[in-house]
Amino acid sequence: MALEIGTNPMGMDAVAAHLVAAFAGLQDVRVQEPDTVVARCDKGVLHELAQGLKDDVEVGYETLNFIAGVDHVKHFESVYHVYSWKTNTYLELHVEVPRGKAELATVTDVWPAADWHEREAWDMVGIRYLGHPDLRRILLKDDFVGHPLRKDYVDLIENHPHV
Amino acid sequence: MTDAVPDRLKIRYPKLEHFQQPNVITTTADFIFSWARSHSVFPFTYGLACCAIEMLSSGFARFDVARYGMEVFRPTPRQCDLMIVAGTVNEKMAPVLKLLYDQMAEPKWVISMGACATSGGPFYDGYNVVNGVDKIVPVDVYIPGCPPRPEALFQGLLELQGKIQQHKFVAESPAGSAAGEA
Repeated sequence: MALEIGTNPMGMDAVAAHLVAAFAGLQDVRVQEPDTVVARCDKGVLHELAQGLKDDVEVGYETLNFIAGVDHVKHFESVYHVYSWKTNTYLELHVEVPRGKAELATVTDVWPAADWHEREAWDMVGIRYLGHPDLRRILLKDDFVGHPLRKDYVDLIENHPHV
Repeated sequence: MTDAVPDRLKIRYPKLEHFQQPNVITTTADFIFSWARSHSVFPFTYGLACCAIEMLSSGFARFDVARYGMEVFRPTPRQCDLMIVAGTVNEKMAPVLKLLYDQMAEPKWVISMGACATSGGPFYDGYNVVNGVDKIVPVDVYIPGCPPRPEALFQGLLELQGKIQQHKFVAESPAGSAAGEA
């Protein structure tokens, strides 16, 4: 790819229109200037959609930058930030995860970079990624109790054995 | 200026010009050994956070911890006397820190550098932070600051030198049972 840094041969609106036309699973597609498309999808279609987004010929989100786990109190959210080298644009894909059953399909088989990011989201927010090859805690110690970035987390004495 | 230096930090060096001809020194074993110990401290490279940057800065030419004979930072606990805990100790690091401290050979000392290692600092309420390294290992000198400047670290090292020189390591035997008579 001999694209100059920051150039987008398609234009943001064309990228968004292409995504709307090609992927029925994407909802609420909107452009966030200068270089990001924000969208939402149901958790059921995430895996299929991720594979499609990566394999897409015109845009092709080949790189996973990071996955964020968010606690919105009523529900969790798993946010995928992916990057297209063909258009130099980002896609910010929000997936709602119900709080009672925080489970979601893994995308490690689509983007291998998802491995540690999903482990971190599991560690901090407690979203369980089904099908992940090795879903262990990544930052906290193995016997940590709870998920500290949940809004309802209370600091437990079990997690402070040295006090 | 010398009046500002506390007595316990004054080091009574024999000066070189006293030795222009073959000579003899008379001193105590405590003095000569603690003098040697306090000027050949090997610190253990234990940088955990931003305090480590100040600790590294102390090691280089601008501040130059070598002036105190403490420049030999070692990455292994087996060769070290002094553990400078520079940074936030979290719960996952705590057992590792204890293990490394236990692996250091006696005599050994610990300096708690900065607010985090002393009390948890700005992360006092953190879900994964040990509120002070003294919960895990005994600490000899605490250095305040966030992070402390290299000068503050040197002040702490001088305090530690004073503490080492006060140390009476020759055992005072009970009367009648001195070594050699038993």
